[in-house]
Amino acid sequence: MPTGLLGLNPWLDGVVRLLLIVGLMTVVAMGLIYIERKVLGRFHARIGPQRTGPFGLLQSVADALKLIGKEDLRPRNADPWTFEFGPYMVFIPIFLGFVVQPFMAGFQVRVLELGLLYFVAVSSVSIVGWVMAGWGSDNRYAMIGGMRAAAQAISYELPFVLSLLAVSMLTGTLNINEIVMSQAGVPNIVWQPLAFIIFFIAALAELNRPPFDIPVGESEVVGGPFVEYSGIRWSMFFLGEYASLFIMSILISALFLGGYEWPFGTQLGVGFQLLLTVVKASVLIFLIIWVRASVPRLRIDQLMGYAWKILLPLSLAQILINGFVLVYDLPKIVLTVAGIGGVFALVWLTERAIRRPRSARASAIALSEAAS
Amino acid sequence: MRGIAKSMLTTLSVFLRPPVTRDYPNVHKPLPERDRAFPLLLWDQDIDEPFCTGCHACERACPVECMTVLMKDNPNHTSVGGNSKRRKIIDKFWIDYARCMRCNICVEVCNFDAIAMNNTWSGHETSVHDRKDLVMDLQQLTSQSHRGGIKEWVPVLGQANES
Repeated sequence: MPTGLLGLNPWLDGVVRLLLIVGLMTVVAMGLIYIERKVLGRFHARIGPQRTGPFGLLQSVADALKLIGKEDLRPRNADPWTFEFGPYMVFIPIFLGFVVQPFMAGFQVRVLELGLLYFVAVSSVSIVGWVMAGWGSDNRYAMIGGMRAAAQAISYELPFVLSLLAVSMLTGTLNINEIVMSQAGVPNIVWQPLAFIIFFIAALAELNRPPFDIPVGESEVVGGPFVEYSGIRWSMFFLGEYASLFIMSILISALFLGGYEWPFGTQLGVGFQLLLTVVKASVLIFLIIWVRASVPRLRIDQLMGYAWKILLPLSLAQILINGFVLVYDLPKIVLTVAGIGGVFALVWLTERAIRRPRSARASAIALSEAAS
Repeated sequence: MRGIAKSMLTTLSVFLRPPVTRDYPNVHKPLPERDRAFPLLLWDQDIDEPFCTGCHACERACPVECMTVLMKDNPNHTSVGGNSKRRKIIDKFWIDYARCMRCNICVEVCNFDAIAMNNTWSGHETSVHDRKDLVMDLQQLTSQSHRGGIKEWVPVLGQANES
């Protein structure tokens, strides 16, 4: 868009868009924190926040004000630059990922031809911030948390990217808008159920949401990289977490659930498109909170094993099948059947992994016997 | 996997039920009749004076010594032209709620049934900013009964008060 929003000059236009994003993301993150606390409360048979404002609606505002007012501490031994810029490195990539999010037809910051690639590239940069925060804090828990974040990133990024690749193979483009447009008839989840589930699981890991909140596990590493942070810097981590939750659910709904296009997005106009996006994203966010309330945290080796040994081969198989279907021009129903078969394989493999945990190595047994 | 599905179903069923939380300061759960909060003095509505004659029985019996009682001649006695049969009546009475351990002994020893354990919510919600404010004087101790704001617990025959 060369002319820019509201006919402003490009620089002013950029500033306006930036302010819009920051304002929207802050409000959305605060709203999501409130919604998560309410919904999670209901999952626990509690009420959730209710004393601050009507139905506790102002709880997030109160929390934000309190966090802004708090002292911004830095441990004496912390590495000042790494420590202070860690939150920004987590925060900024998430905001950059916002650039390509499709909300309605013709309403997004930029339509990039390689939008999907851009998103993947940008969203994985925030790991650098996690490791910076872990290293800079000069705290063992933070260090372990940062290392865990890096290890987790290595394992989930591959199935994450490969399942995206499956979608872009099918639609023949990396432009998120065009992917959404191509789903006018049937959403991608029908053709790619396996890729959808793999992407959802990998997205949970990307968002550091339970059951993959290994880097921040409170009961293991007391908040991981966040442990030394306070005040506004800590709240930036939190803001980033919820902003990425929002972005990710918008992205999943755009790539797999038809985004603003399916059903009848074009025919019923822009307002209905926004409604579609919001409803789909809300359902996904609810699903993510539901998973959080239900599933216990995995161990780091369990996550890595799951991602490398189960998710990665299955997503490769999905790509292979996509390739066959595209090259030999098979009917698309083959994809659906194969995908559903893949989902069953995923369920079976997961069940097997849960049922038969890897037995301890002989050397470890010998060690423990020698110790006792 | 089946375990995960089961746990998801469990949480969903909890989600669909109403929350068990009671909205406490707004909604009070009904208290049982024999609920025992802090002791207070009862008001003789017929003659319009406290039942208490200031006999010190409760003060002597109190294991934590939270009470202070002062007695006076009743200005309303029949001998001086009043309508009360009580020769002596309570002059000043303090109970330190911070000290009271709600043992009910004062109620047991009272010969005039003049003291009772508060069995309403106002007996439980006594938070104050200063510990001194928990020392209740005669006016505070009698006002709730004077207003009729307390249900008197009538013991079932043969079950309680085996005196």
